[in-house]
Amino acid sequence: MTNRTVDRRRLLAAAVLGRDTEAPRLTADDGMTLDAVSGEILDVSPHLIIVEDDDGEERRMVIAPWATAWHGASLPPADLPVGARVVIRALRSGTVVDRIWANMTRMTGIILSISGKRDLTIELDCGPHRGRRSVVVPYRSSGRIRVRHPQLEAGYLFDAIGLMDAGTALAHIPATSQPPYRAKSVPPPPPAFRGVQSKISGAAAWGDFTEPGVTYPMLESADADCEDTGRSCAGLPYLAVGSMLFVRNVCDGRANALPIIGCGCIAGRFCDRCLECGTSPRGRLVELSATSYVELGGDLIKGCFNARVGLG
Amino acid sequence: MLSTIAAAALPILIAMLLLGGVAKLFMAGGDAEPGGLGRLGPAVLAPPRFRKAAMIGCALGELGLIGVLLLLPDHAVARWMPVAFFSVATYVLWDLRRRRPDVGCGCFGEVSAAPIGLRSIGRAAFLAGVAVVVAVESPGLAALSDWSWSTTAWLAGGLTLVLLLSTEIEESIARLRHRAPCEQRAIPAKRALSRLQSSTAWRSHAPTLMSDEPADTWRELCWRFFVFPAQDGADVVFAVYLSGRRPGVKWAIVNADGQPITPLRESMRVSA
Repeated sequence: MTNRTVDRRRLLAAAVLGRDTEAPRLTADDGMTLDAVSGEILDVSPHLIIVEDDDGEERRMVIAPWATAWHGASLPPADLPVGARVVIRALRSGTVVDRIWANMTRMTGIILSISGKRDLTIELDCGPHRGRRSVVVPYRSSGRIRVRHPQLEAGYLFDAIGLMDAGTALAHIPATSQPPYRAKSVPPPPPAFRGVQSKISGAAAWGDFTEPGVTYPMLESADADCEDTGRSCAGLPYLAVGSMLFVRNVCDGRANALPIIGCGCIAGRFCDRCLECGTSPRGRLVELSATSYVELGGDLIKGCFNARVGLG
Repeated sequence: MLSTIAAAALPILIAMLLLGGVAKLFMAGGDAEPGGLGRLGPAVLAPPRFRKAAMIGCALGELGLIGVLLLLPDHAVARWMPVAFFSVATYVLWDLRRRRPDVGCGCFGEVSAAPIGLRSIGRAAFLAGVAVVVAVESPGLAALSDWSWSTTAWLAGGLTLVLLLSTEIEESIARLRHRAPCEQRAIPAKRALSRLQSSTAWRSHAPTLMSDEPADTWRELCWRFFVFPAQDGADVVFAVYLSGRRPGVKWAIVNADGQPITPLRESMRVSA
């Protein structure tokens, strides 16, 4: 399935149903999105950072006096290592650095096996589209991880945030409280009264992919080329790769229209709540790419934000 | 008097055991790992890998009791087995309510997901009482031969009591009333394609299509879209509504840029 076919779907659906072909317009009431830059640090000083972004362009950005960075712990931006992959939240049309996250990775999956005594090595099944990966829980963060993941055994879900260190994924902080059920036993959605709501509330998480957009759990298995779709406890409607979703960060009041770029096969198995601002209803609705998540005002070291999602 | 009650009680016991056994077997066989703990019932106390076996074992036990009730009414030990079963069930439900208040009784598989209340326990206790009457009188198959109006009255009374004590009735009614809307139901693409191919829109466009296999298909809410390559580099897009007996089919002819093309016939005004 090429990108062209997927982009064309929106036009074809508009043509056959007589919809407006324009993407839904965002108004000032929807809240302005922030700027996010993803790339690699070429040079960094206390006041200036030079980054090669994902398009290969060199960007020089001023570091705001209040800016902080995260690289396993909070630190001044000037202490970041050159060559680190960063995601930057930027202000003033992307010229002023507000916050930097370096070498971040998100480990979301089903635990396949656990080995090691002091440092734990966990083999994760990250879904049919992302395959398996091996993550290490260092001894110093294992207490923090275990307290939010009481069932650290095969068959249960795992979700942590950490750092990429020389090709190894090191888990630092838990991204959510582990759901108490096994990954295969996702609770059913509540019964739908009077059809599907046009806007659905729940949690939005970020995922380890760079393409801007969201992954969404309720795709037909024939459309997503895998059998693991269609699981969600949030009562989501079926959509397709290429559909536009209107994602609103309820905590920050920012919204954006983002395309569905893939199957959130694992995200749909999380029937958790986001506690970022108040308690969200159950269910992980979408998984955003790191840049899309930051643009909507999300903080990468917090695993989620309370979101409201509607068809754009 | 007691023999009349026993004759009425026997069908109630058999019906409950049959329904419970079949529902449990259906649930255990339908899913590799039953989703949601609510409907597992006492099997939730077993380690996860034995849960399915526990459910199947319980179901087979219930079906076996039917055979005992019908075929071995005079056997001294066998006829008390249903009494033992329902007494143990009453105790297990009572204990389960204390230990796992979130779990349903699982008596009838999926529909018994509501947390155990006094009604579920009361029903098990009532059935244990009914089983005692049956065990004392042991009517067996012979009870069905001398049926009377008073037996029917007792049967109706017993059934009413069982229905009143069943929380599953409300659950089933709620399920029927609140069926998942079509946006949330998985509907295979093949079914939508066969619906499309039996529509008039398909018949009028079929001669212009280059292939019977869609070039692209996707689902959005209640619509499934099919794109077929047509002559002159155009595409025909069909949208099939996925709900209803005779679903609506919409179509459009689009060019390579995805812009709709108005067919010549429709673009010409018909003059009088």
